[in-house]
Amino acid sequence: MMDTHIVEVINVTREVAWLPWAVQYFFLIGLSVGGLLLSLPGYAFARDGWRPLGRLALIVALTCGLAAPVALLSDLHQPGRFWHFYVVFRPTSWMWWGSLFIPFYIAGLLVYGWACLREELQAHGRVDSRLAGLYRLAALGGGRDDRLIRAAGLFVLAGAALVALYTGVEVAVVKARPLWHTPFLPVQFLTTALAGALGLVLILNRVVGTADRGVEVLGNRLLAAVLAAVMLCGGLWLALSLSGLDAGHAAALDSVAGSEAWRVTAVWAVAATVVPFVIAVARPAGTGLLTGLIAVHSAWMFRWTVFIGGQSVPKTGAGFYEYALPAGPDGLMGIVGTAGLWLFLLILMTALLPVSSTPAAGRPANASGHPGGRLTAAE
Amino acid sequence: MDRSRRNFCLGAGAATVGAATLAAAPADAGAVSASGDAAHRWAMVVDVRKCVGCQACTVACIMENDVPENSFRTIVSTYEVTEQGKAGSYMLPRLCNHCEDPPCIPVCPTGATYQRRDGIVVVDNSVCVGCAYCVQACPYDARFINHETQTADKCTFCVHRVEAGLLPACVETCVGGARIFGDLKDPDSTVSKLVREQNPKVLKPEMGTQPRVFYIGLDPKMQGKVDGTPTLWRPAPHADKEHA
Repeated sequence: MMDTHIVEVINVTREVAWLPWAVQYFFLIGLSVGGLLLSLPGYAFARDGWRPLGRLALIVALTCGLAAPVALLSDLHQPGRFWHFYVVFRPTSWMWWGSLFIPFYIAGLLVYGWACLREELQAHGRVDSRLAGLYRLAALGGGRDDRLIRAAGLFVLAGAALVALYTGVEVAVVKARPLWHTPFLPVQFLTTALAGALGLVLILNRVVGTADRGVEVLGNRLLAAVLAAVMLCGGLWLALSLSGLDAGHAAALDSVAGSEAWRVTAVWAVAATVVPFVIAVARPAGTGLLTGLIAVHSAWMFRWTVFIGGQSVPKTGAGFYEYALPAGPDGLMGIVGTAGLWLFLLILMTALLPVSSTPAAGRPANASGHPGGRLTAAE
Repeated sequence: MDRSRRNFCLGAGAATVGAATLAAAPADAGAVSASGDAAHRWAMVVDVRKCVGCQACTVACIMENDVPENSFRTIVSTYEVTEQGKAGSYMLPRLCNHCEDPPCIPVCPTGATYQRRDGIVVVDNSVCVGCAYCVQACPYDARFINHETQTADKCTFCVHRVEAGLLPACVETCVGGARIFGDLKDPDSTVSKLVREQNPKVLKPEMGTQPRVFYIGLDPKMQGKVDGTPTLWRPAPHADKEHA
């Protein structure tokens, strides 16, 4: 089109239809799945060395997993009609499948979480306190049962795999948005979710845990590995787009390459991946809070860019749609509200079952053998 | 019924059409069948050479269908195109393409959006949960969330008018006769003849959606995402936040 210049004089702006609520949902459910996966070695597969990290990962899985559906429901413009999902058979829609997978996963997560924490509930039930009866009731008269934990773990692992699959594919099938329509997206969602979950584990280790050095080093090493996978995915996506081997990927890159804002975002995303990677590799001890914060930030930013950034690319019009974060429920309040709900769940969970203090009375006779045994008497 | 407004008024039925127009019911009050008549396949041909960019169709659609402020079921995208030093205007009326293979339908998790047997793609807004998956899936940015109903919304080819034997409001009002509506299953209809004889183009054919809105005189530069300087004017983000 030599010597041709087009100025769009009149066109319509389509506002974002998947709101910041959706960003929060995909962030939280991703972190929950990531947290669950990280908890499995320590609990479902009874690797004692992974128990302390698994304990924090369990908090991530449960708190994020319980807050996520609230964000998802809020993203519906008719949340009161959510039951419409359950009175139809719509196998062509990944969102419909998601409506089945989410309750399956959350139910499994609750059973698994209970099985994992039953030992602690039992221990708290033995302490002479006003809540002891409630703890005993919650423990259902039992303690640690590795077979139950493993069975529940495998069940919820299936749920987590389905959730990871549907959340990725649901977005990747949208052919109308070249930026989304890539087989890399589900993998990128999963790897960044794992990075975010590890980040949150590292933060919780310092904030609600015991600042366990072992957890920090293991967490940072895992984070470095996961961030390497994130960079590999991003690199492959970029290579495929630049090479022009695939028209779809080239179109995706083309749709944003000319934008200064997108270039800044790309540099930011690379920095938020490379910096924690380098720190985690160079100094895995003593840096967990920093790498954790960056990793969580990076996982959130990835989703923000995919959803809000992706929707700012017009499908037919020229240039980009402008997006300004509204202050109300469709914007900032949604983000803050979801974060607040998560914080409430965190406080509730760590108040009822403190990470750092399980009553000595609850320690089983063989507790000295596993690393969860850095327990101190609560009362 | 397969004509532009210009032809329509020249026809013998002009007087009765006028009466019927006056009696036309509001968008959602008429008894519109849910499934349509398979004997028809409604389609539109837009002759962009005849469009003057007056936006009468845009306004007529809003009035006919009670489209909320700052939302549009149809709009005439207007471009200033400078080629080899010469500037000119280019008008492109956009609306739902009522595709033969609509990507908005399989993604719908509740079945609220579906295609009638006459090809018109509709949304049952009493079933729609407002998940906006269809909004994402449409390659033409033809769908939006209606903040009064909080459900997905789009052009319906004025299905309530079509069922009453009337033309869609945008066709009815088009001063240049640029919008021609009719039945592709009727080989003698104007749209059938135009599609047969004029080899009209569709938007984004590579998407494989098989649109049933055809364009005569469509510039290939406008067929997909337009590569140009973004619009100088856009409607403000929806002002009626209290509905949100």
